[in-house]
Amino acid sequence: MRVSYYKGCLASLSAKELDTSTQALAPKLGLELVELESVTCCGAGDIHEADPDYYLHLNGRILAYAEAAGTDLLMTICNVCNLNLRQANFVLRNDEAVRARVNENLETVGAPPYSGGVEVKHFLWLVAEGEMHEKLRTVAHRGLKGLKVAPFYGCQVLRPSKLNGFEDPDRPWSLEAIIEACGGLAVDYPAKIKCCGFPIIQAREETALGELIQPVEQALEAGADAMVTPCPLCHLSLDAWQQKLEAATGRKFRMPILHLSQLIGVAAGLEESELKFKRHVVSVDGVIEKLTTV
Amino acid sequence: MIDVALKIWRYHSGTGERKLERYEVDAPEWATLLDVLDIVKDQVDGTLAYRKSCRMMICGSCGMRMDGRAILACKERMKPIAESGHVPVISPMGNLPILKDLVVDMAPFWRKIRAMKPWVDPGYEEYPEKEFRLTQEQMNPIHKEALCIMCGCCVSECNSMESDPDFLGPAALAKGFRMVGDPRDRTKVERLASEPYSGEHGIWDCTRCYFCNERCPKGVDPRDAIAKLGAESMAEGIDNDMGAKHAKWFVHSAKTTGWLRETELVPKTQGVVSAIKQTKFAISLARRGKVPVPFPPHVARDVREARALHELVQTQNRRGALGHVQGERALARIERTDEGGARRDVPEVTPGEPPVQRDVGERP
Repeated sequence: MRVSYYKGCLASLSAKELDTSTQALAPKLGLELVELESVTCCGAGDIHEADPDYYLHLNGRILAYAEAAGTDLLMTICNVCNLNLRQANFVLRNDEAVRARVNENLETVGAPPYSGGVEVKHFLWLVAEGEMHEKLRTVAHRGLKGLKVAPFYGCQVLRPSKLNGFEDPDRPWSLEAIIEACGGLAVDYPAKIKCCGFPIIQAREETALGELIQPVEQALEAGADAMVTPCPLCHLSLDAWQQKLEAATGRKFRMPILHLSQLIGVAAGLEESELKFKRHVVSVDGVIEKLTTV
Repeated sequence: MIDVALKIWRYHSGTGERKLERYEVDAPEWATLLDVLDIVKDQVDGTLAYRKSCRMMICGSCGMRMDGRAILACKERMKPIAESGHVPVISPMGNLPILKDLVVDMAPFWRKIRAMKPWVDPGYEEYPEKEFRLTQEQMNPIHKEALCIMCGCCVSECNSMESDPDFLGPAALAKGFRMVGDPRDRTKVERLASEPYSGEHGIWDCTRCYFCNERCPKGVDPRDAIAKLGAESMAEGIDNDMGAKHAKWFVHSAKTTGWLRETELVPKTQGVVSAIKQTKFAISLARRGKVPVPFPPHVARDVREARALHELVQTQNRRGALGHVQGERALARIERTDEGGARRDVPEVTPGEPPVQRDVGERP
């Protein structure tokens, strides 16, 4: 399947491991990734909130470049990019007057116009069902040897469900389906659908940490060896800010956090040069050890 | 008739006693959860406490949780649930102190609503001679917010409020935009600059978890209202909060390099002094490559297009909340398209969260 690949800011910068593992995994799953060089940041929740008209144009421009590349599917690997692009896409597809004005502006600055021919989907959804999910069992040939993995969805791939719509936002199943196809055991806990606090972690750290502690604590209590998330913002929050939770509570969590493509990647036997676990703040050594010794 | 079974979390705040009780009653096929509660109270246990009034999704009294989700009891039909064999767990709403069984103390909720000055302030002392007439276009921006029935379902699941009980929360902020966006109100800037709106527990405390949009039974979409308040604040230059500065840096990044200038985000949000206090933390991240070197900057090809777009849209009269409002007509169509809409699975046996009694100022 040939898709436009929108990696977003974090996978280009602090979460490079997400990009390298996704790129290494893609051909094994039958995905041909078309990189879009002219696209920009989707604006995250920030430009979406603060300068919504600019947000709509930035996302319209991304969709237009995906269309110009001859693809009808834009694959995201970040929950926030996914929601931003899907929302803009709904607006541009369903309101001709808005689309006409955005297109006129796009053409004025020299960008291609957007006719509405692109679907936006998260990598998670592509791998959770259908052909690619069938492939998963053979791709993940090394397996996860019964590793106990706590799925953490992140908000914006679930809610608002009228914009995401892939699964029941209160009883999601997609991460569990992937964990199990890779040979792991999915661990259940109530906070798997809640917020990691990342959007306000710089402006309201205390409030954000009060949110972050719930999934980490519950995953630990449920006996998870690691957590997996389809969102690089959740990853940054869970992985990098975990030390702040430890400092604030005086407890040791040491919970390894994997990107979705790393979890599949490690089961598929990708190399460390592609998985780049060394870039994690919380060590993943315990997980690797479990997978190599059991 | 249908045979409906329920489990209800009973709670007595005087004794602190709580237990999950199972009830089974015969109900008409059209019965809602509220109808079933009425039957239970009438025929099985008269001490069961819950709020109700209109029975038709207008009064906002019967907010509670079913299987952990905040709902209006009068909106949920029981037939498909009863027929699936599922026994739902009914519990009180979250984020508010429980008084008895399914009744929560709404006092903190009303206190926050009142803090928003929930009335139109036309800014004149004497009545003008002619009445103030409005067009539909003028009222469109606050159409959704005006639908709020103040049931508290959004507040029940607000993730920021769980962590910061003083956060104004989705209902109060949606009411805030209902006033800020009203063309008859002449105190917009004053409101936006005031403590409840742009203070510590205001607009920028929202963590964008979208639980409020998901739960609202009336389509208010409180998170969108909060975004409109943020957009109006920025357009009015009320942008001193760290949340606003964080957003401003995203805009600046998009028009200069196209991509987020991640490493400079912390000092630009928190100020240089606070950022220096984070040095130890920053070093721990830098050792893992989590602090990308800003030079040479990561620049998108054709970034001049993104810059030119920014300049262009600033001149086109869609700044502030209008930028959000322009998409609402299209988004309202989602439910009628194939590509949109949520998949809801048939209920399975999932226990509702047991009620947790927490004092208002207490953090979890």
